[in-house]
Amino acid sequence: MSWITLDKIKKLQEQFDFVQINESDKGFHSVEVPKENFKQFVQFLKEDPDYRFKMFIDWTIVDHGQKADPRFQGVLILFSPEYKERIIVKTWATDETLPTLTDIWAGAKWAEREAWDMFGIKFEGHQNLVRMFMWETYPYHPLRKDFPLKGYEEVELPSLNEKERMDQLEGLQNYSRMHTALPTLEDLEITQKKRMPNKKSQVVLNWGPLHPGTHGTIWFLFDMEGEYVQECDIIIGQLHRGVEKLAENLNVQQIIPYTDRMDYIASMNENHSVCVAAEKLLGIHEKIPEKAKYIRTMLAELSRINSHLLWLGTYALDLGALTMFLYTFREREKIMDIFEGITGARFTINYFRVGGVYADLPYGALDAIEHFIKDFPTRLNDYETLLTRNRIWLRRNIDVGIITEEDVYSYGLTGAVARASGVPYDLRIIDKYDAYGEVEFDVPVGEKGDSYDRYLVRIEEMKQSARIVQQCIEKLRKMSKNDPFFFEPEDKKMKITIDGRGTKLFKGEVYAGADNPRGELGVYIFMPKDGIKPHRFRLRSGAFYNLQIFPKLMVGRPIADAITILSTIDPVVGETDR
Amino acid sequence: MGIKKVGLNRNVQPQTLTEKIFFLDFMKGLKTTIKHLFRKVITVDFPFELVEPAPRFRGVHGLRNVDGTEKEDFDAWVKKLKIKPPEMGETRCIACKFCQAACPVPEIFIIKAEKLDVPEDHPHHGLKVLSQFDMDLSKCMFCGLCTLACPTVCIIHTDVYDLSSYTRRGWVLNKETLSKIADDFIARRGKEKYDEKSHWPDWQKIWDDSDTARAKAWDNNPPKLGPNYADQQ
Ligand code: SF4
Ligand code: SF4
Repeated sequence: MSWITLDKIKKLQEQFDFVQINESDKGFHSVEVPKENFKQFVQFLKEDPDYRFKMFIDWTIVDHGQKADPRFQGVLILFSPEYKERIIVKTWATDETLPTLTDIWAGAKWAEREAWDMFGIKFEGHQNLVRMFMWETYPYHPLRKDFPLKGYEEVELPSLNEKERMDQLEGLQNYSRMHTALPTLEDLEITQKKRMPNKKSQVVLNWGPLHPGTHGTIWFLFDMEGEYVQECDIIIGQLHRGVEKLAENLNVQQIIPYTDRMDYIASMNENHSVCVAAEKLLGIHEKIPEKAKYIRTMLAELSRINSHLLWLGTYALDLGALTMFLYTFREREKIMDIFEGITGARFTINYFRVGGVYADLPYGALDAIEHFIKDFPTRLNDYETLLTRNRIWLRRNIDVGIITEEDVYSYGLTGAVARASGVPYDLRIIDKYDAYGEVEFDVPVGEKGDSYDRYLVRIEEMKQSARIVQQCIEKLRKMSKNDPFFFEPEDKKMKITIDGRGTKLFKGEVYAGADNPRGELGVYIFMPKDGIKPHRFRLRSGAFYNLQIFPKLMVGRPIADAITILSTIDPVVGETDR
Repeated sequence: MGIKKVGLNRNVQPQTLTEKIFFLDFMKGLKTTIKHLFRKVITVDFPFELVEPAPRFRGVHGLRNVDGTEKEDFDAWVKKLKIKPPEMGETRCIACKFCQAACPVPEIFIIKAEKLDVPEDHPHHGLKVLSQFDMDLSKCMFCGLCTLACPTVCIIHTDVYDLSSYTRRGWVLNKETLSKIADDFIARRGKEKYDEKSHWPDWQKIWDDSDTARAKAWDNNPPKLGPNYADQQ
């Protein structure tokens, strides 16, 4: 397991007497340090040659409830690329403030804005602590425990509740005429101004929120000098639905369908992250039936191909190659058909369960997948002849949006974006969850970290995924139809069910996840005691952190590069906004 | 397990001079496009041509009626919940509300059972029947958890997917509508999905392989379906 060992933590304690250790029987140990020493301590972790936790993963808050004093706790998750291990460092946010980490890791910038937005924690020294998802004049901090799940309904919205249509419904099935707060145009103007306090030119170019090139509702602001971008900022949150808040009121199987609606292009992989994390918290991940492991690995890789095909199609479309889009959608259609037949849904899948999958493969499933996989390489070849060495393609991609290795660590970039910059960071080989430890595949890494490398890495990933799927099919063929596909606990205290009723989580905390097409979707679950509903369910979105580097890449580039850079970063708004 | 290096000059060669002068990259690309000119059409001509959803497809819900294919423990459940034993053609629902408990959005359901108004010496005295079962599908996310929770395979997903309505009222379905949807589905496709004890059988197919519209979407070259596992027929 890729976690810091107890011995190494004990050594930290010897060095710094203020370090407290929270031991965990599952191996996910964390350390707690006082707020005064926090910055010095993490700086040490980053630079000391024995630790080298230089990769930023996540920085978030846990609310311990109104009665607790101090109430809020900061949780920092770091990764050490040299020793391949993670650590959690916690500190109490007394007076609802914390020191900023933006000068150590640039990636903390958005994380801290999110923490301010959702919990109202002030970060001392942050250069522009504005809200992340909500508009600037919004009065609440929704992830605090005292904020009701339904929100405060204070605006009347009759248009959605026309009387003649509605008066025939009663009780819970009726709709209230009141709605939670909505931003007005003035609110949006204030938000926009606050995001760009040092605007230089007279005109700020707005791109989005509803523009086909943004692949969703992202709102970009470009401060232009002629055709070149001086400064850039992003307003996200138009798709913010509060999945983390919702998750605090559900059992873990019920959370899975909500994650379908996050990265809706690779919902299979989103489900996978939640399952892996919850299984690790319960300590059953290694005991999941072999069949379920292989089915999950196989479908997750098919889903990766599916997602990369959509990326390739829209990316080429944005750069002017319409045909590509039609070709990739032809292949996606087949994968969607396979998903529909196996899971019951084409898009919002909800097939994986904590403990396995909800049903065995239907008759003919492996044949259909094999048929697709046999045919796929020739199709991929077609795509490559159209694009890879096409001069327009080369001109528009090479040396555009170069991400250095240092950026990867400091911004916490993951997925193909990190690998294209030469960092072989891939949870599939670091964590070896499910059957990834038993299948053969290569991790493609790029050289320069420009858009062209990101393109090549994703193309190669599709080939490797096809390889993994092929191996899973061979393995599954040898199994029996009576092999279990769902884990049956022997432990009386543990309860997990396929339909989710009564599925319990154990006391403790865990950070785990899966390598998704758009980066690492990590799940941090914090449980102060055994129970059904998670106390804190943090979704560390790869797309969110990857998008953060966009403003940096755009500085000094012509506006036309925005399309290329955004497409190769490949965020999906459902996941950035959650 | 290894690391594969990709990049210009690594696994991709830069354009040569001949390629640049004679526009060979464009020629090759055009070859691919022209090749596609002679292929058969793969677009399914919706709505004139419809792909039949897979048996497992999670569409609009239905409430199944008693038709002699109940699970083995059906009678035990009926007894346990003090429900009037249903006749042929009456609903299977025993008002246990397991579906509501499993649902992430429990407000979807309104389930009520009423005591029968019969004299004391009647055999059905003290037993209940389902009186109301409303579902507001505008809030549903078709996740399938309710159908997995149902002990009597009463609430099921059908293959109906068009759920458009001019008013929100149109998405609230009552128990009669739901029963009709299920009856209709079972008559059309019940044999594909369930065995004679309402379980999902291991011969349940990924999709109907005689569907010509689906074959078209598969490039007119659909896969031949066979058993998955070594010991499957
Ligand atoms: S499909 Fe899911 S959301 Fe819809 S009623 Fe069933 S459990 Fe609830
Ligand atoms: S779970 Fe089935 S039997 Fe129970 S109330 Fe729901 S539909 Fe009726």
